[in-house]
Amino acid sequence: MMQMSNKTELVRASLAKRYAREKRFRFWGLASIVLSLAFLAILLSTIFMQGWPAFTQTYMQLDVSLSTEALEVDANAPADKLRAASYDTVVMNALTTRFPGVTERKQKMALKKLVSSSATYDLQKMVMTNPKLIGTQQSLWVMVDDDIDTYFKGNIDRTQPEADRRIKDFQLVWLDDLEAKHEIERRFNLPFFTSGDSREPEQAGILSALMGSFYTMLVTMTLAFPIGVAAAIYLEEFAPKNNPLVDFIEVNINNLAAVPSIVFGLLGLAVFIQFFGVPRSTPLVGGLVLTLITLPTIIIASRAALKSVPPSIRQAAYGMGASRVQTVFHHTLPLAMPGILTGTIIGMAHALGETAPLLMIGMVAFIVDIPQGITDPAAILPVQIYLWSDSPERAFTEKTSAAIIVLLFFLVMMNLLAVLLRKRFERRW
Amino acid sequence: MNTLALTNNTMTFPTSKDPSAANSKDQAVDIQTIVEELKHATQPVGVPFLDDPKFYTRDVDVFYTGAKQAIFGVDLDIGKNEVIAMIGPSGCGKSTFLRCLNRMNDTIDGCKVTGQLLLDGEDIYAKEQDPVLLRARVGMVFQKPNPFPKSIYDNVAYGPRIHGLTTNRSELDDIVEDSLKKAGLFNEVKDRLQAPGTGLSGGQQQRLCIARAIAVSPEVILMDEPTSALDPIATATIEELIDELRQSFTICIVTHSMQQAARISQRTAYFHLGYLVEVNKTNTVFTNPEHRLTENYITGRFG
Amino acid sequence: MDIGQHTSHQYNQELENVRNQSLQMGGLVEEQLGKALRALMENDSQLGEEVAYSDYRVNRLEVEIDEACTQIIARRQPAAGDLRLVISIIKSVTDLERIGDEAEKIARHAISTEGLSTSLHTALRHLGDHVREMLRRTLDAMARMDAETARQIAESDLQIDAEFDVLSRQLLTHMMEDPRTIRDSLNVLWCARSLERIGDHSKNICEYVIYLVEGKDVRHTNRPKAGADVSS
Repeated sequence: MMQMSNKTELVRASLAKRYAREKRFRFWGLASIVLSLAFLAILLSTIFMQGWPAFTQTYMQLDVSLSTEALEVDANAPADKLRAASYDTVVMNALTTRFPGVTERKQKMALKKLVSSSATYDLQKMVMTNPKLIGTQQSLWVMVDDDIDTYFKGNIDRTQPEADRRIKDFQLVWLDDLEAKHEIERRFNLPFFTSGDSREPEQAGILSALMGSFYTMLVTMTLAFPIGVAAAIYLEEFAPKNNPLVDFIEVNINNLAAVPSIVFGLLGLAVFIQFFGVPRSTPLVGGLVLTLITLPTIIIASRAALKSVPPSIRQAAYGMGASRVQTVFHHTLPLAMPGILTGTIIGMAHALGETAPLLMIGMVAFIVDIPQGITDPAAILPVQIYLWSDSPERAFTEKTSAAIIVLLFFLVMMNLLAVLLRKRFERRW
Repeated sequence: MNTLALTNNTMTFPTSKDPSAANSKDQAVDIQTIVEELKHATQPVGVPFLDDPKFYTRDVDVFYTGAKQAIFGVDLDIGKNEVIAMIGPSGCGKSTFLRCLNRMNDTIDGCKVTGQLLLDGEDIYAKEQDPVLLRARVGMVFQKPNPFPKSIYDNVAYGPRIHGLTTNRSELDDIVEDSLKKAGLFNEVKDRLQAPGTGLSGGQQQRLCIARAIAVSPEVILMDEPTSALDPIATATIEELIDELRQSFTICIVTHSMQQAARISQRTAYFHLGYLVEVNKTNTVFTNPEHRLTENYITGRFG
Repeated sequence: MDIGQHTSHQYNQELENVRNQSLQMGGLVEEQLGKALRALMENDSQLGEEVAYSDYRVNRLEVEIDEACTQIIARRQPAAGDLRLVISIIKSVTDLERIGDEAEKIARHAISTEGLSTSLHTALRHLGDHVREMLRRTLDAMARMDAETARQIAESDLQIDAEFDVLSRQLLTHMMEDPRTIRDSLNVLWCARSLERIGDHSKNICEYVIYLVEGKDVRHTNRPKAGADVSS
């Protein structure tokens, strides 16, 4: 009895200590989670705050008179004549009509720079589609120049001394006038999603980078998934166990996963471009390099997924007289598919954000055209971000953040897809 | 038969009320010598051999990786339409031997089987013998019910499909129904053949596995502790089923439950440390085993 | 054949207990028979009363042993040697109890008769000694689990049967010569009959011992030197 109560006392004494340890552990765990969430929140809020304005664009109303004299063509002119018509003059005329009395050369230049150069292209497109407009009076909304846009987004402080501002006092007078007459409007920035890169920030879009990323991912996916899964199946189901060669291969696959990606870029440059002569700056070569980077991830994830299939299922299949290939393709692979897909998508998401190796293979080029296939030169999203973040114009800072938001959106979508696929295909056994 | 001397006819003086240390030491030495002599025995005690057997095995050795030998010179005949139970302590090689019979050991890397294993006089380890074909003739049911994560129908239809037994849909339906009926499961699942097989209860799953095995009309069914994961009622159902299946199949069953071996088998084989010690009529094994080791095992003595 | 060495010590103990009880019962029965015979020979009706009274102890032991055996079967599911031990104990106990009953009968005769004539006395004593010896050796074989001795004892039952035949023929002659002795003679005959039955029961026990040790059921199979070979 004495001993019993003694033991109870001892246990009781140790209890407080044990619980304290548990509490401490929980506290540290919670603290680290809070810390990482805080960093995430800071990151996301910064990016969103900076990038959000890039999704809108300032437009200005312009009354243009499409007179034959100004355009130097008439409505019946052939298409190439129409294309070469002097829309510049029309825009300039419209601006001088709007702000009469501007005579000084410097101010005239500034006046011309009020609207984006895309105004002429818009006009050109309008006339090309409907030549009957020639000789009429049209009112249309055109994009303003990036400096003006920056001003309207509140990023230029008019209280600063004039010399420090990119917008001079006489320009401010115009802008105030425009605003007062409601000839200025902020709209959703559709061209950001429908056009390629540009030297003019207000015209720069991410479509070419998106398409570039899409084609690159397409190449990566079509190569990395089947090769990776096949390699994983072979290593897991067919390769002899305890074979030194197989062990060597396994170790090297794990090593490959840890190799810095820039090395793969150099490899791609040396092998694909210089040796095989694959055209540089193309989604094809980018996809090939990214395939190399993604393969280890896919192989490792697929092997883990295959390994997690209960051996009883394999046994059952063998016991039924299924051959090895039948066992793998009827039972093991379908059961491992959710895991394999998750691994693949995460690998692809990783590849989507990969930049360094692509710089090595020339995907850092300035690409205005939207790529039409895997052999067209293209930029990709992370490289586009890199390029924009390097540009001096204030408007590109916004665009950089906006592009990051788009990239994050796609990454989240891919991870979401991974989760959904898992849920959808996961089967109980 | 040089094992005769080892049989159980020896008598000892009535045990004193407190078995002395010397006594148990004697016993230990005794067992040691018996095991030593097992190695020199040419064949197991009892009736290991039959006329016209289904399986004829002689001098079967099984090695695992690292020259570890799991089975030593097993000689055993398995008769037609008989239920033979294999019992023995864990690691005695009974499951390994069972897996030799349909070459399931092939799937284990580094496992080597030597000796003669004949099914209806055909060497099942011959070069030209295809394990896939063999497993269509010798079905297997495992310890843990392991239906495929497919529908009940697809589980049973799997074997006939992969072996191409029928291409006709209605014929396949008949095979599935017939197999489920033989496995005593049809009435319970006839309304939900498309429901997943994994949704059944443990006992039903195991009967589904049996139905799956008999769907390819094997000649022999191997069962590796088929009821060890089941409750007594489900176990009784399976045992009843085994007795019925005996009409059409030869059944080899490995079991840890001696009572189960006693209930369902006609002959019982006792394995010890990789040796086949005794094969005898089940009646004999459970009332008057010939070998001392068998006696010790089934009465629950140290060994 | 040994009882110990089970993985379960409790099981060891249970088997040991039931065996000891059955041996104890054998000892008690042997004592009862000895006393009954003495009461008969020495015309000691008080001793006879005592024997008749003590039969309840035999009966009680039988019930206890049966119960213990039932428990072992139900809870341990004995197999092989253990199974044979339990079965042979259950059966031996029944025979021992019968022997006890026969001893009681003899004791009751001892109470009711006044005295035996010398010739009958001698013949009966002779038979009684034989049977007692047989029972003693039977119990000994049972304790030692000695199948060889048991086999010999079982064979010796034939001698007892023969002796009983002789005695009953003698009694028949006796009764024909002097009808007044019919009552006494019948008493002696009943006692002799009881002794002969005890011999049969002993023989049964010996057969159980053989079954226990060798796992062979020798009942109704080999009656050595019994003439016609029924089977082998």
